[in-house]
Amino acid sequence: MTGFFTGKWSSYLAGGVVAFLFLLSLYVLDDSIGFSDPYLMISSYCERSIESGRLANPPPIDWQTVFLGGILIGALGAALVGGEWRFRMISDSEGKGFFPSIGATIATGIAGGFLVMLGLQLAGDSFLGQWSSAIQLSTSAWVFFASLLVWGIVITTIASAIRRRNAAAAPSESEKKK
Amino acid sequence: MHPLHLDGTYKVVAAGLLGVAFGFLIVKSKIAWRKTLVDQLFLKNTHFMKTFLASVALGAILFHFARQWGLVSYHARPLFPWGAITGGLLVAAGLALCGQVPSSAIAAVGAGRLHALLVLVGMLLAMPVANAFSRWFADTVARWPDPVNLDPTLDAMFSNATPFWIAGLALAACLFLEFTTSDSDDS
Repeated sequence: MTGFFTGKWSSYLAGGVVAFLFLLSLYVLDDSIGFSDPYLMISSYCERSIESGRLANPPPIDWQTVFLGGILIGALGAALVGGEWRFRMISDSEGKGFFPSIGATIATGIAGGFLVMLGLQLAGDSFLGQWSSAIQLSTSAWVFFASLLVWGIVITTIASAIRRRNAAAAPSESEKKK
Repeated sequence: MHPLHLDGTYKVVAAGLLGVAFGFLIVKSKIAWRKTLVDQLFLKNTHFMKTFLASVALGAILFHFARQWGLVSYHARPLFPWGAITGGLLVAAGLALCGQVPSSAIAAVGAGRLHALLVLVGMLLAMPVANAFSRWFADTVARWPDPVNLDPTLDAMFSNATPFWIAGLALAACLFLEFTTSDSDDS
Protein backbone atom coordinates (compact mmCIF):
# COMPACT_ATOMS: atom_id res chain seq x y z
CA MET A 1 0.00 0.00 0.00
CA THR A 2 2.88 2.35 0.84
CA GLY A 3 4.25 1.74 -2.66
CA PHE A 4 1.10 3.27 -4.12
CA PHE A 5 2.03 6.62 -2.56
CA THR A 6 5.81 6.48 -2.79
CA GLY A 7 6.54 4.46 -5.96
CA LYS A 8 6.30 5.37 -9.65
CA TRP A 9 2.94 4.86 -11.37
CA SER A 10 2.51 3.05 -14.67
CA SER A 11 0.46 4.80 -17.35
CA TYR A 12 -2.34 2.26 -16.80
CA LEU A 13 -2.57 2.96 -13.07
CA ALA A 14 -2.41 6.73 -13.71
CA GLY A 15 -5.09 6.44 -16.42
CA GLY A 16 -7.37 4.43 -14.10
CA VAL A 17 -6.98 6.98 -11.30
CA VAL A 18 -7.64 9.86 -13.75
CA ALA A 19 -10.88 8.20 -14.90
CA PHE A 20 -11.98 7.53 -11.31
CA LEU A 21 -11.22 11.11 -10.17
CA PHE A 22 -13.09 12.66 -13.12
CA LEU A 23 -16.13 10.49 -12.36
CA LEU A 24 -15.89 11.32 -8.64
CA SER A 25 -15.72 15.06 -9.45
CA LEU A 26 -18.80 14.81 -11.65
CA TYR A 27 -20.65 12.91 -8.91
CA VAL A 28 -19.61 15.12 -5.97
CA LEU A 29 -19.55 18.58 -7.60
CA ASP A 30 -22.04 17.95 -10.43
CA ASP A 31 -19.92 20.43 -12.34
CA SER A 32 -17.17 20.43 -14.92
CA ILE A 33 -13.62 20.76 -13.60
CA GLY A 34 -11.94 23.81 -14.98
CA PHE A 35 -10.19 26.88 -13.80
CA SER A 36 -10.49 29.57 -16.42
CA ASP A 37 -12.52 31.65 -13.95
CA PRO A 38 -9.87 31.78 -11.19
CA TYR A 39 -7.18 32.57 -13.78
CA LEU A 40 -9.36 35.38 -15.10
CA MET A 41 -9.95 36.65 -11.54
CA ILE A 42 -6.23 36.54 -10.67
CA SER A 43 -5.33 38.19 -13.98
CA SER A 44 -7.81 41.05 -13.48
CA TYR A 45 -6.66 41.36 -9.82
CA CYS A 46 -3.04 41.83 -11.02
CA GLU A 47 -4.24 44.30 -13.66
CA ARG A 48 -6.18 46.35 -11.06
CA SER A 49 -3.21 46.30 -8.65
CA ILE A 50 -0.78 47.47 -11.35
CA GLU A 51 -3.17 50.22 -12.53
CA SER A 52 -3.78 51.57 -9.00
CA GLY A 53 -0.16 51.13 -7.90
CA ARG A 54 -1.19 49.27 -4.72
CA LEU A 55 -2.67 45.90 -3.83
CA ALA A 56 -6.33 45.78 -4.85
CA ASN A 57 -9.01 43.92 -2.87
CA PRO A 58 -8.26 40.21 -3.28
CA PRO A 59 -10.71 38.21 -5.42
CA PRO A 60 -13.31 36.06 -3.60
CA ILE A 61 -12.37 32.46 -2.87
CA ASP A 62 -14.61 30.05 -4.76
CA TRP A 63 -14.43 26.28 -5.28
CA GLN A 64 -12.33 26.55 -8.45
CA THR A 65 -9.69 28.70 -6.72
CA VAL A 66 -9.55 26.22 -3.82
CA PHE A 67 -9.21 23.41 -6.37
CA LEU A 68 -6.11 25.18 -7.75
CA GLY A 69 -4.66 25.49 -4.24
CA GLY A 70 -5.40 21.79 -3.68
CA ILE A 71 -3.38 20.87 -6.79
CA LEU A 72 -0.38 22.77 -5.40
CA ILE A 73 -0.62 21.01 -2.02
CA GLY A 74 -1.23 17.57 -3.56
CA ALA A 75 1.76 17.98 -5.90
CA LEU A 76 3.95 19.07 -2.99
CA GLY A 77 2.86 16.00 -1.00
CA ALA A 78 3.43 13.61 -3.93
CA ALA A 79 6.86 15.06 -4.68
CA LEU A 80 7.90 14.87 -1.01
CA VAL A 81 6.74 11.30 -0.34
CA GLY A 82 8.06 10.10 -3.70
CA GLY A 83 11.45 11.79 -3.19
CA GLU A 84 10.92 13.87 -6.35
CA TRP A 85 10.92 17.34 -4.79
CA ARG A 86 13.74 19.38 -6.38
CA PHE A 87 14.32 23.10 -6.12
CA ARG A 88 14.87 24.24 -9.72
CA MET A 89 14.98 27.81 -11.01
CA ILE A 90 16.03 26.73 -14.51
CA SER A 91 14.48 23.93 -16.52
CA ASP A 92 16.80 20.90 -16.85
CA SER A 93 16.03 20.45 -20.52
CA GLU A 94 17.06 23.93 -21.71
CA GLY A 95 20.27 24.84 -23.55
CA LYS A 96 23.68 24.35 -22.02
CA GLY A 97 25.46 27.15 -20.14
CA PHE A 98 24.11 29.46 -17.46
CA PHE A 99 22.89 32.45 -19.50
CA PRO A 100 21.48 30.52 -22.46
CA SER A 101 19.57 28.39 -19.94
CA ILE A 102 18.11 31.42 -18.17
CA GLY A 103 17.18 33.11 -21.44
CA ALA A 104 15.62 29.97 -22.87
CA THR A 105 13.72 29.19 -19.65
CA ILE A 106 12.23 32.70 -19.49
CA ALA A 107 11.41 32.96 -23.21
CA THR A 108 9.96 29.47 -23.65
CA GLY A 109 8.13 29.61 -20.30
CA ILE A 110 6.32 32.90 -20.87
CA ALA A 111 5.69 32.45 -24.62
CA GLY A 112 4.61 28.82 -24.19
CA GLY A 113 2.29 29.60 -21.26
CA PHE A 114 0.77 32.48 -23.21
CA LEU A 115 0.03 30.30 -26.26
CA VAL A 116 -1.31 27.40 -24.20
CA MET A 117 -3.75 29.60 -22.28
CA LEU A 118 -4.83 31.49 -25.42
CA GLY A 119 -5.49 28.16 -27.16
CA LEU A 120 -7.42 26.74 -24.21
CA GLN A 121 -9.58 29.86 -24.03
CA LEU A 122 -10.39 29.58 -27.74
CA ALA A 123 -11.15 25.87 -27.35
CA GLY A 124 -13.48 26.84 -24.49
CA ASP A 125 -12.17 24.79 -21.56
CA SER A 126 -9.10 24.05 -19.43
CA PHE A 127 -6.91 21.06 -20.25
CA LEU A 128 -8.38 18.95 -17.43
CA GLY A 129 -11.85 20.11 -18.52
CA GLN A 130 -11.15 18.92 -22.08
CA TRP A 131 -9.86 15.61 -20.74
CA SER A 132 -12.96 15.14 -18.60
CA SER A 133 -15.12 16.03 -21.63
CA ALA A 134 -13.29 13.46 -23.76
CA ILE A 135 -14.26 10.78 -21.23
CA GLN A 136 -17.85 12.00 -21.54
CA LEU A 137 -17.42 11.55 -25.33
CA SER A 138 -17.87 15.24 -26.08
CA THR A 139 -17.22 15.75 -29.82
CA SER A 140 -15.66 19.16 -29.12
CA ALA A 141 -13.04 17.62 -26.79
CA TRP A 142 -12.18 14.92 -29.33
CA VAL A 143 -11.82 17.51 -32.11
CA PHE A 144 -9.55 19.50 -29.75
CA PHE A 145 -7.32 16.51 -28.91
CA ALA A 146 -7.17 15.40 -32.56
CA SER A 147 -6.18 18.95 -33.55
CA LEU A 148 -3.59 19.08 -30.73
CA LEU A 149 -2.04 15.79 -31.85
CA VAL A 150 -1.95 16.66 -35.57
CA TRP A 151 -0.62 20.21 -35.05
CA GLY A 152 1.79 18.93 -32.39
CA ILE A 153 3.31 16.47 -34.86
CA VAL A 154 3.47 19.13 -37.62
CA ILE A 155 5.13 21.70 -35.32
CA THR A 156 7.63 19.26 -33.81
CA THR A 157 8.52 17.89 -37.27
CA ILE A 158 9.26 21.43 -38.48
CA ALA A 159 11.20 22.19 -35.27
CA SER A 160 13.27 19.00 -35.66
CA ALA A 161 14.03 19.81 -39.30
CA ILE A 162 15.19 23.34 -38.38
CA ARG A 163 17.32 21.96 -35.54
CA ARG A 164 18.94 19.40 -37.88
CA ARG A 165 19.63 22.06 -40.52
CA ASN A 166 21.20 24.39 -37.93
CA ALA A 167 23.31 21.54 -36.58
CA ALA A 168 24.50 20.70 -40.09
CA ALA A 169 25.27 24.36 -40.86
CA ALA A 170 27.22 24.96 -37.63
CA PRO A 171 30.95 24.09 -37.86
CA SER A 172 31.88 20.96 -35.92
CA GLU A 173 34.26 21.09 -32.93
CA SER A 174 37.10 19.51 -34.93
CA GLU A 175 36.69 22.12 -37.71
CA LYS A 176 36.78 24.91 -35.11
CA LYS A 177 40.09 23.58 -33.72
CA LYS A 178 41.61 23.69 -37.19
CA MET B 1 -30.04 8.06 -7.71
CA HIS B 2 -28.63 11.48 -8.51
CA PRO B 3 -25.32 13.41 -8.25
CA LEU B 4 -24.43 14.75 -4.78
CA HIS B 5 -24.40 18.31 -6.14
CA LEU B 6 -22.66 19.83 -3.10
CA ASP B 7 -23.05 23.54 -2.57
CA GLY B 8 -21.51 26.37 -0.50
CA THR B 9 -18.76 25.45 1.96
CA TYR B 10 -19.16 21.71 1.32
CA LYS B 11 -18.43 22.27 -2.36
CA VAL B 12 -15.36 24.37 -1.55
CA VAL B 13 -14.00 21.70 0.84
CA ALA B 14 -14.73 18.88 -1.63
CA ALA B 15 -13.05 20.85 -4.43
CA GLY B 16 -9.99 21.37 -2.20
CA LEU B 17 -9.74 17.63 -1.48
CA LEU B 18 -10.24 16.76 -5.15
CA GLY B 19 -7.56 19.32 -6.01
CA VAL B 20 -5.14 17.59 -3.61
CA ALA B 21 -5.93 14.23 -5.25
CA PHE B 22 -5.42 15.69 -8.74
CA GLY B 23 -2.15 17.37 -7.68
CA PHE B 24 -0.90 14.03 -6.34
CA LEU B 25 -1.98 12.32 -9.57
CA ILE B 26 -0.35 14.92 -11.84
CA VAL B 27 3.03 14.37 -10.17
CA LYS B 28 2.66 10.57 -10.05
CA SER B 29 1.60 10.38 -13.69
CA LYS B 30 4.64 12.55 -14.64
CA ILE B 31 2.43 15.15 -16.37
CA ALA B 32 3.94 17.76 -14.03
CA TRP B 33 7.32 17.38 -15.71
CA ARG B 34 7.96 19.54 -18.75
CA LYS B 35 9.75 16.66 -20.48
CA THR B 36 6.71 14.35 -20.48
CA LEU B 37 4.52 16.50 -22.73
CA VAL B 38 7.38 17.80 -24.91
CA ASP B 39 8.65 14.24 -25.51
CA GLN B 40 5.08 13.16 -26.25
CA LEU B 41 4.80 15.79 -28.99
CA PHE B 42 8.17 14.73 -30.42
CA LEU B 43 6.92 11.10 -30.18
CA LYS B 44 9.99 10.18 -28.11
CA ASN B 45 7.97 9.02 -25.11
CA THR B 46 4.35 7.87 -25.16
CA HIS B 47 3.69 7.84 -21.41
CA PHE B 48 1.16 10.69 -21.58
CA MET B 49 -0.67 9.19 -24.58
CA LYS B 50 -0.96 5.81 -22.82
CA THR B 51 -2.26 7.49 -19.65
CA PHE B 52 -4.82 9.42 -21.72
CA LEU B 53 -5.94 6.32 -23.64
CA ALA B 54 -6.14 4.18 -20.49
CA SER B 55 -8.27 6.86 -18.80
CA VAL B 56 -10.60 6.98 -21.82
CA ALA B 57 -10.84 3.17 -22.01
CA LEU B 58 -11.99 2.93 -18.39
CA GLY B 59 -13.66 6.33 -18.04
CA ALA B 60 -15.95 6.08 -21.09
CA ILE B 61 -17.49 2.83 -19.81
CA LEU B 62 -17.71 4.01 -16.18
CA PHE B 63 -19.33 7.27 -17.31
CA HIS B 64 -21.81 5.38 -19.51
CA PHE B 65 -23.06 3.24 -16.60
CA ALA B 66 -22.86 6.02 -13.99
CA ARG B 67 -25.00 8.20 -16.27
CA GLN B 68 -27.49 5.38 -16.84
CA TRP B 69 -27.82 4.97 -13.06
CA GLY B 70 -28.26 8.72 -12.64
CA LEU B 71 -25.07 9.17 -10.60
CA VAL B 72 -23.57 11.74 -12.97
CA SER B 73 -24.86 14.07 -15.64
CA TYR B 74 -23.20 15.34 -18.79
CA HIS B 75 -21.01 18.43 -18.24
CA ALA B 76 -19.04 19.60 -21.25
CA ARG B 77 -18.79 22.81 -23.23
CA PRO B 78 -20.95 23.20 -26.36
CA LEU B 79 -19.51 22.08 -29.66
CA PHE B 80 -17.51 24.72 -31.56
CA PRO B 81 -15.27 22.95 -34.11
CA TRP B 82 -13.29 26.02 -35.29
CA GLY B 83 -12.50 27.01 -31.71
CA ALA B 84 -11.34 23.46 -30.93
CA ILE B 85 -9.19 23.29 -34.10
CA THR B 86 -7.49 26.69 -33.67
CA GLY B 87 -7.24 26.13 -29.90
CA GLY B 88 -5.50 22.80 -30.56
CA LEU B 89 -3.02 24.55 -32.89
CA LEU B 90 -2.11 27.21 -30.30
CA VAL B 91 -1.91 24.71 -27.43
CA ALA B 92 0.36 22.45 -29.52
CA ALA B 93 2.67 25.40 -30.29
CA GLY B 94 2.70 26.43 -26.62
CA LEU B 95 3.31 22.88 -25.41
CA ALA B 96 6.24 22.47 -27.79
CA LEU B 97 7.79 25.52 -26.10
CA CYS B 98 6.97 25.10 -22.42
CA GLY B 99 5.62 21.53 -22.03
CA GLN B 100 3.06 22.62 -19.44
CA VAL B 101 -0.70 23.03 -19.20
CA PRO B 102 -2.26 25.16 -16.40
CA SER B 103 -2.74 22.28 -13.93
CA SER B 104 0.71 20.76 -14.57
CA ALA B 105 2.41 24.16 -14.19
CA ILE B 106 0.85 24.59 -10.74
CA ALA B 107 1.83 21.02 -9.79
CA ALA B 108 5.38 21.63 -11.05
CA VAL B 109 5.66 24.71 -8.80
CA GLY B 110 4.44 22.58 -5.87
CA ALA B 111 7.15 20.03 -6.71
CA GLY B 112 9.84 22.74 -6.50
CA ARG B 113 10.26 23.53 -10.21
CA LEU B 114 9.98 27.28 -9.78
CA HIS B 115 10.68 27.90 -13.47
CA ALA B 116 7.05 26.83 -14.03
CA LEU B 117 6.08 30.17 -12.41
CA LEU B 118 7.13 31.79 -15.71
CA VAL B 119 4.62 29.58 -17.52
CA LEU B 120 1.94 30.75 -15.08
CA VAL B 121 2.95 34.38 -15.75
CA GLY B 122 2.56 33.73 -19.49
CA MET B 123 -0.87 32.21 -18.85
CA LEU B 124 -2.00 35.17 -16.75
CA LEU B 125 -0.79 37.56 -19.47
CA ALA B 126 -2.85 35.61 -22.01
CA MET B 127 -6.17 36.12 -20.19
CA PRO B 128 -6.84 39.78 -21.19
CA VAL B 129 -5.56 39.06 -24.71
CA ALA B 130 -7.81 35.98 -24.91
CA ASN B 131 -10.79 38.14 -23.90
CA ALA B 132 -10.09 40.70 -26.62
CA PHE B 133 -9.27 37.96 -29.11
CA SER B 134 -12.42 35.97 -28.33
CA ARG B 135 -14.58 39.02 -29.14
CA TRP B 136 -12.86 39.32 -32.53
CA PHE B 137 -13.12 35.54 -32.91
CA ALA B 138 -16.87 35.62 -32.18
CA ASP B 139 -17.39 38.22 -34.92
CA THR B 140 -15.33 36.40 -37.54
CA VAL B 141 -14.27 32.75 -37.25
CA ALA B 142 -17.23 31.74 -35.09
CA ARG B 143 -19.55 32.75 -37.95
CA TRP B 144 -17.90 30.41 -40.42
CA PRO B 145 -20.01 27.34 -41.16
CA ASP B 146 -18.91 24.14 -39.39
CA PRO B 147 -16.49 22.07 -41.52
CA VAL B 148 -18.81 19.05 -41.19
CA ASN B 149 -22.12 18.43 -39.42
CA LEU B 150 -21.33 17.15 -35.94
CA ASP B 151 -23.49 16.21 -32.95
CA PRO B 152 -22.36 17.46 -29.51
CA THR B 153 -21.45 13.94 -28.31
CA LEU B 154 -19.99 10.92 -30.06
CA ASP B 155 -22.74 8.57 -28.81
CA ALA B 156 -25.41 10.93 -30.23
CA MET B 157 -23.52 10.92 -33.53
CA PHE B 158 -23.11 7.15 -33.77
CA SER B 159 -24.92 4.76 -31.39
CA ASN B 160 -25.37 3.83 -27.75
CA ALA B 161 -22.59 1.28 -28.17
CA THR B 162 -20.08 4.08 -28.86
CA PRO B 163 -18.55 4.10 -25.33
CA PHE B 164 -17.70 0.40 -25.73
CA TRP B 165 -16.01 0.63 -29.10
CA ILE B 166 -14.23 3.87 -28.08
CA ALA B 167 -12.96 2.03 -24.99
CA GLY B 168 -11.92 -0.95 -27.15
CA LEU B 169 -10.08 1.26 -29.64
CA ALA B 170 -8.39 3.22 -26.83
CA LEU B 171 -7.24 -0.02 -25.18
CA ALA B 172 -5.99 -1.42 -28.50
CA ALA B 173 -4.08 1.82 -29.21
CA CYS B 174 -2.65 1.73 -25.69
CA LEU B 175 -1.41 -1.86 -26.13
CA PHE B 176 -0.01 -0.99 -29.57
CA LEU B 177 2.02 1.85 -28.02
CA GLU B 178 3.07 -0.41 -25.15
CA PHE B 179 4.66 -2.94 -27.49
CA THR B 180 6.03 -0.59 -30.13
CA THR B 181 7.47 2.31 -28.13
CA SER B 182 9.54 2.76 -24.99
CA ASP B 183 9.18 5.05 -22.00
CA SER B 184 12.01 6.68 -20.12
CA ASP B 185 11.73 7.50 -16.43
CA ASP B 186 13.40 10.89 -16.63
CA SER B 187 11.81 13.77 -14.80
